[in-house]
Amino acid sequence: MEAAGVAHPAAHEEQHGPPPANRSSRVEPQLLGMLLFIISEVMIFGAFFTAYFFIRVSSGDPWPAPGTTLPVAVAGVNTAVLWSSSLTMHWAQTSIKRGNRFGLKAGILTTFLLGFTFLFVQINEYANIGFAPQDHAQQTIFYSLTGLHGCHVFIGLLLLLFVTIRSFRGHYSPEEHRGVEVPGIYWHFVDVMWLIVYSTVYIL
Amino acid sequence: MAARVRAPGFYRASVLMVLGVALSAGLTWVVRMSTGHSTFHHYLSGDAILTVSLIAVPLLFLIGIGGFDYWFYWAAGRPTRPEDHSGHGARSWKDYFRVNTDHKVIGIQYTVTSFFFLLVGGLIAMLMRAQLAQPGAQFVDANTFNGLFSVHATLLIFLFVIPVFAGLANFVLPLMIGAPDMAFPRLNALSYWLLPVAGFMMLGSFFAPGGAFADGWTAYAPLSTNMPIGQTFFSVGVQFAGASSVMTALNFLVTIITMRAPGMSFFRMPLLVWANFATSLLVVIATPFIAASQFFVLLDRALGFNFFNAGHGGDVLMYQHVFWFYSHPAVYIMMLPGFGIISEIIAVKSRKPIFGYRMMAFSLLAIVGLGFTVWAHHMFTSGMAAWIRIPMAITTAIIAIPTGIKIFSWLATLWRGVLHLDTPMLFALGFLTTFTLGGISGVMLAMVPFDIHVSSTYFIVAHIHYVLFGGSLMTIFAGVYYWFPKMTGRMYDERLGKWHFWSTFVFFNLTFGPMHILGMQGMPRRVATYAAKFADMNLFISIASFGLGLSTLIFLYNIVTSWRGGPISIANPWRGMTLEWQVTSPPPIFNFDRVPTVVGGPYEYGVPGAVHGILAPTPATVGAGSRLAGAQRE
Repeated sequence: MEAAGVAHPAAHEEQHGPPPANRSSRVEPQLLGMLLFIISEVMIFGAFFTAYFFIRVSSGDPWPAPGTTLPVAVAGVNTAVLWSSSLTMHWAQTSIKRGNRFGLKAGILTTFLLGFTFLFVQINEYANIGFAPQDHAQQTIFYSLTGLHGCHVFIGLLLLLFVTIRSFRGHYSPEEHRGVEVPGIYWHFVDVMWLIVYSTVYIL
Repeated sequence: MAARVRAPGFYRASVLMVLGVALSAGLTWVVRMSTGHSTFHHYLSGDAILTVSLIAVPLLFLIGIGGFDYWFYWAAGRPTRPEDHSGHGARSWKDYFRVNTDHKVIGIQYTVTSFFFLLVGGLIAMLMRAQLAQPGAQFVDANTFNGLFSVHATLLIFLFVIPVFAGLANFVLPLMIGAPDMAFPRLNALSYWLLPVAGFMMLGSFFAPGGAFADGWTAYAPLSTNMPIGQTFFSVGVQFAGASSVMTALNFLVTIITMRAPGMSFFRMPLLVWANFATSLLVVIATPFIAASQFFVLLDRALGFNFFNAGHGGDVLMYQHVFWFYSHPAVYIMMLPGFGIISEIIAVKSRKPIFGYRMMAFSLLAIVGLGFTVWAHHMFTSGMAAWIRIPMAITTAIIAIPTGIKIFSWLATLWRGVLHLDTPMLFALGFLTTFTLGGISGVMLAMVPFDIHVSSTYFIVAHIHYVLFGGSLMTIFAGVYYWFPKMTGRMYDERLGKWHFWSTFVFFNLTFGPMHILGMQGMPRRVATYAAKFADMNLFISIASFGLGLSTLIFLYNIVTSWRGGPISIANPWRGMTLEWQVTSPPPIFNFDRVPTVVGGPYEYGVPGAVHGILAPTPATVGAGSRLAGAQRE
């Protein structure tokens, strides 16, 4: 993602630049940064699940609330859409590692479009679901958990958009593909998190 | 003119901020119209526009100041400007008002900004004590008083104690581990600029219609969901402060893990590095919880969600669980870096190796783990299931053990040392005294019956100030004096420093000590007036607190005059072994000409022939140097 100044000592060889930092770990800084950020993200989902626990489990009210139905099947198809985007993301990542530029471009574009489809279906679901977050705390937590995940899909899509633009502009190579790898990890995280949200909110 | 708008800086930022307000108004108008608010009056709701502006304007400020410039180029796939370090280092004071990626500049930016908020928060405290000098209203009405103590606590927690530690560590941590900079310099710069945003937002709440948020820094629901718009300043401000914390913590963790000098194994790291490692873990894991708690409040307030609306199935107790799951670890976020500072100072100033180095490191990690198991001890009287109080009381008592290990380790380090009783050391010893007192009252509060007795009384106020003022602030003063020569290249005035210590120490105890008794007698906290029987003691406390406030002026005078014209400091005035003392004061722009090699522990004072790090001589040419460094790495 963000290449630190120290990572490219060649860029300022003429002037007195910093000495190259010692690498005291085999893990890439960018990769580690993303993993730590994902820990943070897991915790924010954890906080929303805490709210879910109190509102759904502690109160003991029936779920979904009487008179409302959750579109389990539509969301299930949407789940499949999101999960297949993880596969195409993987395709893009392995392609660039092998130097297959077409695979990178096709893979990343497909991933982006699949993610976009997911978000589109999700917004349509909100429009047609027949209840609003203002109605009751159960609806509040339904919208909050799926909405929080939706925000993450949106951020993931932004990152994917950057990667797509850069791929089509000829960036990345088998040697230097952290820019695909690090957003890819985030995208996989978003997909895994959806499975948890889907199974707790829709199925359980 | 156009060039000035295009170039990053305050000019561009202010233009964008004005645009941000217009944008927020437009956005609110469109959304409200499309969702069917019928009358014109409702299309332009002041509260809605203010809420959206509070989120949009800071982001546009950050874009304007230049925090995102590099990433915009990167995201668009355009050639990024090579890292030519034109934004590195500070040549004049003006450079401190620009986005700068140098960890030393950011460290000073962080520290100075936090001290600005300390002074503001302290002034607010003086107003509160003036109000409380006599029973019955004197200066402010009850609602303003509630706003005062809320903003006081919020500023000092989120804008002083947490970031000032990040600032000090930002300066010294990369130097201590032999790194040229932090792992993500641009993220570091962005995390700094989020800080004034959050601070001025919280201060700005005083100008909001209905006054500042007046429900304490804890902002319990449903009080916070029914507050005037000032509450939104808190809810949004905390998001920015929290984002800043998480970014810095991430940066510290990655820097510590991946950028240590050759030979610097984890158990050769100075304890300040260990302390920041532990703190950063806490920040990364816990901070999302307060972010979430404020998202809930914001959604309830702005969009009518039902998280805390009991009439619609909401659960108000859930707020306290989520809030304290962050805010209890947060007290360790506010203390562990201070432990690190004290370990540095006590080892150097008693010329002895730190006693039980490994136990010091492990006890930090133990506090990180246990810190997540005690949150509900803030909720003994909240009406949660009664049985939860028992395990929480036990874990709370247990967490005193690793803290006790640290206290005894410091005492054992002092034992038969050659003590140098200068200002940093005095503050370190003062810390040991007052923090131990605060810790003891903490263990008292872990006991459920006692806690119920003194809950929401001045005993709590006394306890928190003994650990946060007598604990954290003492370590901060100690750290600032200790690294002042390193940061500025000049020496502070030792005589004034001692005056500062003794006046702070005496007036601190005179101010907060009697509050224990007031609390035991049942004087409630967070009230603008009180029963006549508490009058004498309150007058005494108020007078002492003004003395405490004045003592800060000594510090301020000392720092300002010494920074401007103090005697030039040598590189290593304390004869410290850690790496930051081996370079010039202030350090060279890239810290080290070549990455040093670490060959021993950091605290081998008094051990004949002990060496911590070796600084290789400057290489003849850069190319040869990097080859040598590469060869040396294995």
